Amino acid sequence: MEQPFRLTSEVRDNCLVITTAGYVNNVGGEAIAAEFNRHFEKGIRHVVINLGQSRVVNSVGMSFLIEIIERLEESGGKLVFSDLDPAVEKMLSIMGLFQYAGKQKTVADALVSLAGAGKADG
Amino acid sequence: MTDAVTLKMTLPKIPDIELVALEGLDRLARHLGIAEEKIGEARIIVTEAVVNALEHSGENNPSVRLEFTMTTNDLSIFVRDYGKGFEPASVEDPDIKAKLHTKNKRGWGLNLMKSMSDDFRIESNRNGTKITIKKLLR
Repeated sequence: MEQPFRLTSEVRDNCLVITTAGYVNNVGGEAIAAEFNRHFEKGIRHVVINLGQSRVVNSVGMSFLIEIIERLEESGGKLVFSDLDPAVEKMLSIMGLFQYAGKQKTVADALVSLAGAGKADG
Repeated sequence: MTDAVTLKMTLPKIPDIELVALEGLDRLARHLGIAEEKIGEARIIVTEAVVNALEHSGENNPSVRLEFTMTTNDLSIFVRDYGKGFEPASVEDPDIKAKLHTKNKRGWGLNLMKSMSDDFRIESNRNGTKITIKKLLR
């Protein structure tokens, strides 16, 4: 059975890294958005979401991530997904999320890509 | 080819009940020796199908009938709800551009099921909705 949803977060190099485990349903999606909002209010504009330990997600949970993309778009920020299960990656691709967010194999790669984006920003 | 295995269940409308369906799916796959990575997309399809069906299952019979038939080559999924039905042709494909800066960010389920399946059929009337999906597992 898929494990219950869990979330951890840390700030590395001024980037918020959110790591989830277990099923990302509406409750999980809302928790991710709440964690993001908490850091966004403090000025964080670069975010990595590591879904590597969430092999099951649903579109209701993922729809909360559109809110994150929206706020980052408005503020010149950037979201990068990492460690995606191929099926989850396909789902996010169908939803069009990669038109607005990046994807990288690992959190380390995502942080490197965001560091580059930060330099490009100014 | 190994003989087909079938699993039938009726799922009540309780939180995360779709995980029971996924447990059944995983067990059938293990029985047939199908690698886990081959059923990843099937997991998403089943999750969306059950969540969607339960959301529209109506007040009188808030449950979903689900049936899997799996072989080493493919998976057939049948989902039936007992809601008031809808006109499938009237449902527009969601567009993320249109979802940004609007309140309603949901409504992806049907499109995901269609996009990830190899065959998708839907039949809906005032007695409920039936969805039949085929997913190749090779």
